[in-house]
Amino acid sequence: MDLIDRLADEGAHESVRASLDHCVKCTICESFCPFSAATPLFPGPKFVGPQAERFRDPTGSSPDISLDYCSGCGICTQVCPQGVKIAEINARARGRLWAERGVPLRNKLIARPSLSGRLATPFAGPVNWALGNPYVRNLVERIGGVHRHAPLPRFAGRTFRAWARKHRSPVAPKTIVYFHGCSTNYFEPSLGAMAVAVLEHNGYRVIIPRQDCCGLPLQSNGSFDAARTYVRRLAASLAPYARRGHDIVATSTSCSLMLKREALEILDVDDPDLAIVSARTYDICEYLVLLHERGELATDLEPLEATVPYHAPCQQRGHGIGKPAMELFALIPGLNAVDLDIDCCGIAGTYGLKKEKYDISMAVGDRLFKEVRTAGSEVAACDSETCRWQITHGSGVPAVHPIELLYRSYNLSG
Amino acid sequence: MNRLEADVLVIGGGATGAGVARDAAMRGFSTILAERGDLAMGTTGRFHGLLHSGGRYVVRDPPSATECMQENLILRRIAADAIEDTGGMFVTTPWDDPAYAAKFHDGCKGAGVPVEELSAAEVLRREPRLNPRISGGFAVPDAAVDAWKTVWACARSAQEHGARILNYHRAVSLHVSDGAVTLAAVMDEATGETTEIEAGFVINATGVWAGRIAAMAGCGGVTVVPGNGIMIAMNHRLVDTVINRCKEPADGDILVPIRTVSVIGTTDSLVDDPDENAIGRDDVELMLAEGERLVPGFRSVRALRVWAGARPLFKDDKAGEADTRAMSRSFALIDHRERDGVERFLTITGGKFTTFRKMAEATLDKMCEQLATERPCRTADETLPGSESGHHYWIGARLAAREGDLTGDQLICECELITRHRLEDAMQRRATTNLDDIRRTLRLAMGPCQGGFCIYRATGILHDLARLDGPAANNSLRRFLEERWKGVQPILYGDQLRQARLDDWIFQGLLDVEHLPESAPA
Amino acid sequence: MIYDAAVIGAGTAGLAAALRMAEGGLKVIVYAKGVGSTHLTGGTIDVLGYTPHLVEHPETELPSFVDAHPDHPYARLSVATINDALGWFRGRMTTYDYTGNLAANLMLPTAAGAPKPSALVPETMAAGDLRGGGRFVIVGFTQLKDFYPAYLADNLSRFEAAPGLPVNARSVTQRAPIAQADVTPLSFARHFEDAEFRKAVIAGLEREVGGSDAVGFPAVLGLGEARTVCQELQDGLGLPVFEVPTLPPSVPGMRMFNALKRALSKAGGTVVMGGPALGADATGERVEALVTAAAARTRSYRARHFVLATGGFASGGIVMDSTGAVKESVLGLPVAGVPPTGEERFSPGYWASHPMARAGVAVDDALRPVDADGDVLYANVRIAGAAIAGAEPWREKSGEGITLATGYAAASSILESDA
Repeated sequence: MDLIDRLADEGAHESVRASLDHCVKCTICESFCPFSAATPLFPGPKFVGPQAERFRDPTGSSPDISLDYCSGCGICTQVCPQGVKIAEINARARGRLWAERGVPLRNKLIARPSLSGRLATPFAGPVNWALGNPYVRNLVERIGGVHRHAPLPRFAGRTFRAWARKHRSPVAPKTIVYFHGCSTNYFEPSLGAMAVAVLEHNGYRVIIPRQDCCGLPLQSNGSFDAARTYVRRLAASLAPYARRGHDIVATSTSCSLMLKREALEILDVDDPDLAIVSARTYDICEYLVLLHERGELATDLEPLEATVPYHAPCQQRGHGIGKPAMELFALIPGLNAVDLDIDCCGIAGTYGLKKEKYDISMAVGDRLFKEVRTAGSEVAACDSETCRWQITHGSGVPAVHPIELLYRSYNLSG
Repeated sequence: MNRLEADVLVIGGGATGAGVARDAAMRGFSTILAERGDLAMGTTGRFHGLLHSGGRYVVRDPPSATECMQENLILRRIAADAIEDTGGMFVTTPWDDPAYAAKFHDGCKGAGVPVEELSAAEVLRREPRLNPRISGGFAVPDAAVDAWKTVWACARSAQEHGARILNYHRAVSLHVSDGAVTLAAVMDEATGETTEIEAGFVINATGVWAGRIAAMAGCGGVTVVPGNGIMIAMNHRLVDTVINRCKEPADGDILVPIRTVSVIGTTDSLVDDPDENAIGRDDVELMLAEGERLVPGFRSVRALRVWAGARPLFKDDKAGEADTRAMSRSFALIDHRERDGVERFLTITGGKFTTFRKMAEATLDKMCEQLATERPCRTADETLPGSESGHHYWIGARLAAREGDLTGDQLICECELITRHRLEDAMQRRATTNLDDIRRTLRLAMGPCQGGFCIYRATGILHDLARLDGPAANNSLRRFLEERWKGVQPILYGDQLRQARLDDWIFQGLLDVEHLPESAPA
Repeated sequence: MIYDAAVIGAGTAGLAAALRMAEGGLKVIVYAKGVGSTHLTGGTIDVLGYTPHLVEHPETELPSFVDAHPDHPYARLSVATINDALGWFRGRMTTYDYTGNLAANLMLPTAAGAPKPSALVPETMAAGDLRGGGRFVIVGFTQLKDFYPAYLADNLSRFEAAPGLPVNARSVTQRAPIAQADVTPLSFARHFEDAEFRKAVIAGLEREVGGSDAVGFPAVLGLGEARTVCQELQDGLGLPVFEVPTLPPSVPGMRMFNALKRALSKAGGTVVMGGPALGADATGERVEALVTAAAARTRSYRARHFVLATGGFASGGIVMDSTGAVKESVLGLPVAGVPPTGEERFSPGYWASHPMARAGVAVDDALRPVDADGDVLYANVRIAGAAIAGAEPWREKSGEGITLATGYAAASSILESDA
């Protein structure tokens, strides 16, 4: 049987709920779950996933609000020896939970980074000042439920899209599409510029289509209908390029995972646009490693004498492709990249921003923060933006996307 | 030798017996119920769990259908807690005669079974796992009923009205003097002690075993043919509505969501011994094939356990030869005074779970008639213990309960969400050392792991409660594993095979149950 | 990138094979769909416990066992290889030492109180050896539902190692200083790594353990710091202390997993966890690449050698569907030991011998997969662990011995063929 068909049968398309049948109660998932280890409020992935799911009426509400303490990190699904899609079962149950109870206003707000981005960008200066002010943060915590110490990013003021409008990607034999995501656009536009530069350096003309949020924060906060709207819209804007045979790369490993499988597995978005976009979406490190395997990666990488601790985000590991960033680091002379191989930084997207979850989040990330600190390096590397902000918040060490190290090694800043 | 006295002795602790004991006690008779095993261990504990709307019988046996519907409404009222209001559907698959649908619809109307026609789209909207080739269906008020809960509630109700329940007491003899049954002897299975019961009236409610008991009173020829049927519990709820095939009743045409599982059934083969509970490979194959027709992908779904129950098919030799195929599923109340000249003895057999209350009513009415006393039946009026609120069982109940106390109690059976307190309570209340009894009471070890993790814990707890010494506890554990195997071995494939192998590793590779000390021979 | 070796499966067999090859200088990748058998083992290395007769001296009894079971995985290995594997393993378990050897099995109590023969055991369990009899006190915690000391002690007290060497066991149940009522073994292990917690436990037990030769605990005495934890308990109680493995997921198994994974990482190996392995690209008698299910696409890993350590039925390495068809799920290798279609795979009695108990992939002496005629199917593939046909590890008490020794031997075979 064609292996692609087998992938369809066994991999992506087995119903998430039906996968609970594979659970043999070994409880290995719970032994790896960083969140149930940090708080008794979360009964654990096996309990909340394949076990409780048998007690849930698919059309009714879930009586167990404790499932909201699942962070959605996905480590359980990764370590499960039997192929139970535990995190996905939890995510879907959470969606029904909040559909029944009504998503709290706080969750609605923090789940719309592109909305807050659009509103705040013109006033970036004062907004950033306010969000850095302890009195304002206290107020925000009390009224808005966002913890006063939560690592909120700073608005960049000038968006990546503004930069992209002015940027002309040189004509090149190969074309690629860049899915930058909300965080690059509103908070880290320089990352986007670096990614584009690296791609161009590797012989690509980079197209940056109109695009908006992938809907992941909405999904993880239980606003499934809104999430579906966003991801469909995103798929619709990217699909024409995918149909023309162009690959799509992303610098946010959580957003690209959303396109690759979570929109289908959790939101049931069974959409021809999404299907073609999914098949063409790559994490940028994944893509560069594939280029390297074909002998097409530009190898003029100059030495970077540094030790850099690397944290592979949970959702990066959820791609099931190993750690391509480490493979890229190995190509940079003089670079001592250390794979910290620690489970989770604790932020889990918007989870760690919440007043009632911040302490849990910091407890989960504690070991990682310690390791980053003791590495004694100037920067740490990590593929997910929210994880980077959390790592910096917890360790004091700045964190960059792996692509930035390549950018520096290629010496493109000139 | 112990001696007891009662107005009424009921032999048989299934739904019928428990219903009879309740009715008798409520009518003011001092009552004893004797059951050779655990309550509801016979046919009642092994049936499909379907509270009929009567739809199944509207074409072939309309009076039976009407009776079902009436009792359905009564049980929903008095046994609300044991019933989940799933509703039911009769669906037409490509393998069903489309002409039956009209007959079905008319039959429902005629028999008084509420029916609503549904489009194919509506059927699939309600139950997306069903075969997309279904062409249409009907909604009827079927429901899922927990047999053990119902029977135990009846027993408790009987006790509240002064009855005594003697389970693990096997009837060994009935004494007839002067043409009447006067005395019965029952033996305590645990101790071997015999108790003599002086009864004003004896009611034989032993279902498929009725012939044996009747024979004890010299009433031979009461033939109840065991109609063996198997059922398979699938690991999760494939549907949340009772699904019937809209066709002439046959094998494997019903899928019932019972608590956390879906049960496909059943078959129909006449056997000799109702205790055999044979499970044939062909029957299993048939259930899977029929399941696949209803739910595509059924064969890949995890099968948890298979069991067999024996329907009581009454065939009275004395009444003349009857075609076995047309043996009625209606109940049979045998008046032994008329038939055999034996007074103070009635046999009630046949029937189905849905009509147990009515069967009990008919029996007690007959008994009162023979005793020339008028005591009206009130069993339809008074709610059963546990159902006072009128709220039906809700699938999320155990999950909500656990949510209310995440850190205060231990979860012993994780699959079925049974806490330590609940388990210890049941062990003490039931005064049993048999893990299977606890299983029936609480659904212990009835989830996906089939006891792989919880049975060691339950054995340790049983031992802790100082009920057993080591070897006796080991024995209980070993017996449990052997009993469990009977229900698992015939459907051991796919995910359940993985589980069984893991469980083998736990019980043999890690715990080494095989080499635990055995009890010294008696 | 072409790896020197790709191992499929991250259980004991897979990790052992990968580590040995990485130490031998090969570039190794381990691909797994999840965590493997390490978390299910009790932590002891059981080589051969029952034949079905009790085995006291595996070294001397292995040859006759192998003669009686020529299709057993052990029949493909020499006793020397098994010995080497154990010795090699001892050197890699840096969390603590393992003690024991093939000359004589220790008899350690199981969580139910049966005496189980094990060849190699963690030092934290050795004091529970029942062969000399003795007086034991077994400690349990009210918050640990996976351990029943009274039940254990009751059963243990009925065991006599030899005439005149009775075992006398009693139990103590303590409420640990933890607020929750339901605490997992792993959580206990983490608590035990806190000095204050240990002090409190010792204080609660000091007066309870008198008159015994050794104190038994459930196997929750720390994770990476198990050695320190046990030492402190020993010093605090003034008696030898031992752990008893209980239900999965096993803390001693986690220690094994962590140690092997760390060692593998240090030796330059990589572990990738993703979706299931779907199959392979093969040409003739060689597998060229392993094809795995990643998100939205397949991902291939090319290697010169492959070790299939995917386990048996319990892990889904071998599967049987509802029609009774049996498959090895990654390479589609023929599965030996399967009764013909239509015949019973399992006996009606639980304790009986089951026709399909020993199903698995048949191998040659180099652990390469062979067909029914004994011809090698793939020259560059080795099979390790529970995927191999011919064993009934839960009855024989041979699980870890098989996974470890065949993992080691598969690696040796590859290293040799590469040399």
